[in-house]
Amino acid sequence: MSKIYQRNIVAKIYKLIPITLLFISVLNEVDFNNLGMKYFSFNFAYILIFYYSLKKTEGFSYSLIFIAGLFNDVVVGTPMGISSLIYLLLCGAASYLRNITLRPNLMKDWIFFLITISIVKSISYLVLTFIFGYEVILFDQIINIIFTFIFYLIFIYLFDFIRIYFMGRY
Amino acid sequence: MESGRDDFVIAIRSAFLKKGTQQRFSLLGLIFFSIVFLILGSLNFKPVYYVKTIITEIVYRSSYIVSGPENFLKNNYAAINNHFKLYEENKKNIIKIKSLKKKDLSKQIITLENIKYKKLIDDYFIKDNETFAKVLIDKQSPFLRSIIINKGSKNNIKLGMIALDEGYLVGNVVEVNYLTSRVLLISDINSKIPVTLQPGDTQAIMSGKSRKSGVLQYIQEKNLKNINKELMVITSGAGGLFISGIPVGKIKSEENDLNNSGRIVHFYKNFSQLKYVKVVSYSKDKESLDMLSKKDSKKQEEKVEKTIDEVEQKKESLRILLEQKKIADEIRIKIEEENNFLKIKITQQQNEIMIIKNDIKESTIQKEEIKFLKLNLLYGHKCRKTIFNNLYKVNSKKYKTCVFDKGVKKN
Repeated sequence: MSKIYQRNIVAKIYKLIPITLLFISVLNEVDFNNLGMKYFSFNFAYILIFYYSLKKTEGFSYSLIFIAGLFNDVVVGTPMGISSLIYLLLCGAASYLRNITLRPNLMKDWIFFLITISIVKSISYLVLTFIFGYEVILFDQIINIIFTFIFYLIFIYLFDFIRIYFMGRY
Repeated sequence: MESGRDDFVIAIRSAFLKKGTQQRFSLLGLIFFSIVFLILGSLNFKPVYYVKTIITEIVYRSSYIVSGPENFLKNNYAAINNHFKLYEENKKNIIKIKSLKKKDLSKQIITLENIKYKKLIDDYFIKDNETFAKVLIDKQSPFLRSIIINKGSKNNIKLGMIALDEGYLVGNVVEVNYLTSRVLLISDINSKIPVTLQPGDTQAIMSGKSRKSGVLQYIQEKNLKNINKELMVITSGAGGLFISGIPVGKIKSEENDLNNSGRIVHFYKNFSQLKYVKVVSYSKDKESLDMLSKKDSKKQEEKVEKTIDEVEQKKESLRILLEQKKIADEIRIKIEEENNFLKIKITQQQNEIMIIKNDIKESTIQKEEIKFLKLNLLYGHKCRKTIFNNLYKVNSKKYKTCVFDKGVKKN
């Protein structure tokens, strides 16, 4: 009986991990988008959202992602709603991939992630530049996409490790 | 073909319209909502503005709390690092202070003269509001390099106020909330600052480039190429955004003759280490020295001149003291030289005395030898050992004594 109760608590904690990580990454001063290194930046939030949407994790609700996006806009200083839109589009893409996939394949997920972040970054760039008149350096955005794409593979193993640690292999 | 299209539609519908077990809103609904938020926000719709203000206040405070552990580690790391560098820094600082003290007097005079001339051209600004603020969030995003400070409209912070750190330009206030404000850093690509390059008085516009540097735009080339030393970049005051003369950064001498796109301004301040900033606003001095008000402000002028005189007097007395010190140094060097000369002379005389003493000793020995030889000739036979007597061997000590006694002494 106590074992079932204990397992229940672990599952509840695991459910909270992704959304907590998302809010911490959004509110914290450490911005992987801007680590101060020349030609190196990646978007941790994109990886987190895509991975957990693909895995359909409970507790990772769209409304909280929407709020996290608003928080990110406030902290970063971009127009309110742009990050929410990008995050939700990422969720939609991940959800679409989940629906059409019968047998999950890491390589396919990875390539699909590259296409998705390229599209959402392009949307973000177009909206910021042409509608809101922000000056955004395109080269930095491309570097960001490349590193986010590369780091997806590393973080997938990390997130899988966390999942197995909390929930077991199946 | 048909079924393929159907599958796509079903998948899209399922992804965007279907609500999950614990989802309150569908994805499409939220996407639509964020687009509406964006559009209304860009149109400055009042309710959206209020929502934004509330979220802003909550987020800034919570972000400060969330960043606490990281800031704690960062500060401790910096403190430890500083501790190790303390000794070396102290040495450098002592040397620096010495050189700065020398420059201080002339700087005072130049400052006073500068104020006087600025007043003459009615361009002298004085601080009318000054507030110190703590940096809450230093999120240097790729889109907007800005900091959030813990003072807002409650503390009389207004749009356009200037943020300074140790007298160097940091940025200006671009967003004011009730308790917080956002300062756009000069390192941001969107900040355009009218600057002057000294020496040469070349005008330019500076835009942010990276965390530590900016880039000059719209610059007149012809004056700059002839100057081959480090250029100082200060605000020009053009456009009325910033007052003139706030230091911004420098252009290194080796980067001076590059083409327009490569002219980099290295900021004096490192914006990643900001903890507190001074937010100030300026207004024109009412007592300006234009031609009409010149008579009214004679007292002011006299005061400035009096201060200049005092500084001049101090400078003169300092010069006299320095002259006296120079003379005293010269006398000391002369005395030292004489002292050395006398020391050498004493040593030489001591050596001579030693030689004379040795000579005297040698002559005494020789005299004694001669006396012995003389007595030996006369009395040697009385002391010498033969077959017939039992006297002393020649050259023995007793023989010598016997010769000096002029024969064997009879008791």
